[in-house]
Amino acid sequence: MEEKLHVYNPNTKTHRRKVRNERIRKLFVCLCVVVVLAPFYVAILYAFKPATEITSNRLAFTKNPTLENFRRVIFENPLFGIGLRNSLINTIPCVLILMACTSMAAWVLARFDHLRAYKILYAVLTLGLLVPFQCFVLPLYLNWYNAGLVSTNIGFIIARAGLQISISLTAITGFVKTVPRELEQAASIDGCNRFQLFWKIVFPLMTPINTTQLVLNTLFIWNDYSTAIILLREKESKTLTLAQIQYFNGKTTELNEAFAFFILAMIPILALYLSCQRYIISGITAGAVKG
Amino acid sequence: MTNTLPSRKLKAGLGAKTHLGNLCFLLPTILLFSIVVLIPVIQGIPYSFTSWKSIVSTNHPYNGLANYKYLLGNKYFRMSLKVTFSFTLQYMFLSMLFGFGLALLIHKASSFNNVCRTIFFLPFTTSVTAGAIIWSYVYTDIYGTLTGLVSPLGLPNQIVPAMALMASWRDMGYAMLIFIAALQTVPKDYYEAATVEGANVWQQFIYITIPNIVPAFTTNVTLLLAWGLRTFDLPSVVAQNMQEGQTTAMYIYQSIFANNKASLGQAAAIILTIILIVLTQIVTRALRRLEVEA
Repeated sequence: MEEKLHVYNPNTKTHRRKVRNERIRKLFVCLCVVVVLAPFYVAILYAFKPATEITSNRLAFTKNPTLENFRRVIFENPLFGIGLRNSLINTIPCVLILMACTSMAAWVLARFDHLRAYKILYAVLTLGLLVPFQCFVLPLYLNWYNAGLVSTNIGFIIARAGLQISISLTAITGFVKTVPRELEQAASIDGCNRFQLFWKIVFPLMTPINTTQLVLNTLFIWNDYSTAIILLREKESKTLTLAQIQYFNGKTTELNEAFAFFILAMIPILALYLSCQRYIISGITAGAVKG
Repeated sequence: MTNTLPSRKLKAGLGAKTHLGNLCFLLPTILLFSIVVLIPVIQGIPYSFTSWKSIVSTNHPYNGLANYKYLLGNKYFRMSLKVTFSFTLQYMFLSMLFGFGLALLIHKASSFNNVCRTIFFLPFTTSVTAGAIIWSYVYTDIYGTLTGLVSPLGLPNQIVPAMALMASWRDMGYAMLIFIAALQTVPKDYYEAATVEGANVWQQFIYITIPNIVPAFTTNVTLLLAWGLRTFDLPSVVAQNMQEGQTTAMYIYQSIFANNKASLGQAAAIILTIILIVLTQIVTRALRRLEVEA
């Protein structure tokens, strides 16, 4: 009888081992989550601490949490308002311009990729992946300076959009190649001209990749430091990311305020990420497989 | 032969119109890219052969290869290259290790795994500058409290690994997503067949998983190599006053904008670009060969 039972349930032992392995895996993953989130904990710890406790309570959460640091950043630090305004004015048009330009170009480059001229053009336009910003920062700065574009929103928008073209174009072109041509052919037989064809048929089909690129480009441009520090020289033109460096060599008494500033600067981008994370994850993975 | 001529002509005629239409679609991108990247890249090359000092001066006499010769013998430039290479290697290794490890742990689709993916990508949404300052307190408060040691950011021989760890904390999520995508493309029946054949988990990993995800390694290596070699924002926050942590990108920035050696900085930038392109080509070729074999 016992032996028969054993025959009927040959998997009990392996099944039990599987359950145990699954538990160990989850426990380990949770441990990784704690380690990855630790820096955020440090930031939150400082941001909610009253200024008097700055050197005490290094790892434990304060018993007297306060919003005073956040209040001071928002109402008493003029750079926060300036930075927030500039970050929004720069980022939103920049990502929209990028979406319009690169989706149009990617469609043509993907559909005519059998012709050598288009292949060469694609190679040139994606050169930005290889050439570092430092290679052309001096001429770019001088051109911008001579055109009166340094420390202006429009100057930053143009420069940042241009810098983002290569990476965006690679991802979108890869995506368009997976979209079947049949719909386009049917529409062109129906007498659509090419602009109607693109905006009515192709562009809606590109929504998944465009959403992804919109979110990813927002991340890159909102967090940009290397370009901003060169092109945005005046105080009035600083973005939130650039404004943060006022705390680099700041007095330690402003430490709590600095961390409150970081958290406030992170909130818009965090909200965007959490509401659109589905698209980011699918977008990176889609672009990645195609290389 | 005479038959093909008219049809070819017709095709060419149609083609010209189509290509003109295509140009309308391409023009905004071409213009934007030319103004921001292409033209400045070309303008920059002759600058590197001059003895241009301050960027506000208009006087830049030609001096041949003097800048390049000076740089190859310059102690600080060579040190910045060494720092850049050592940082890039450690940063690539750590990002791939963490990214691949996490991907293996959570590549299967489940709600628990999806939440974890969102969390592991979270550091990538922070700005490098804020992340760098936060990490300098992670090193003093958490690391310092737990081990009783001083922050590695204050020690010349530990600053590069400390920076590599910070950078890989931020970018491992990106690498992880690329690995997850690749792991999901490996057909399940390969594993089932291997289990039937009696292969253990380790053998399956070596002979099925690894060969099937080589493209993900190629993508990650090229991406991280490019990101690592041009690192600027992280060391400019945490290594401002320490020579042992200054990368070539920082050397370039300081030469042009702070030290009044514009043409020297430009020459250094061109050397960095050549290194980046050559290394990327070598690495991609080597990995592509592996892909073909796999």
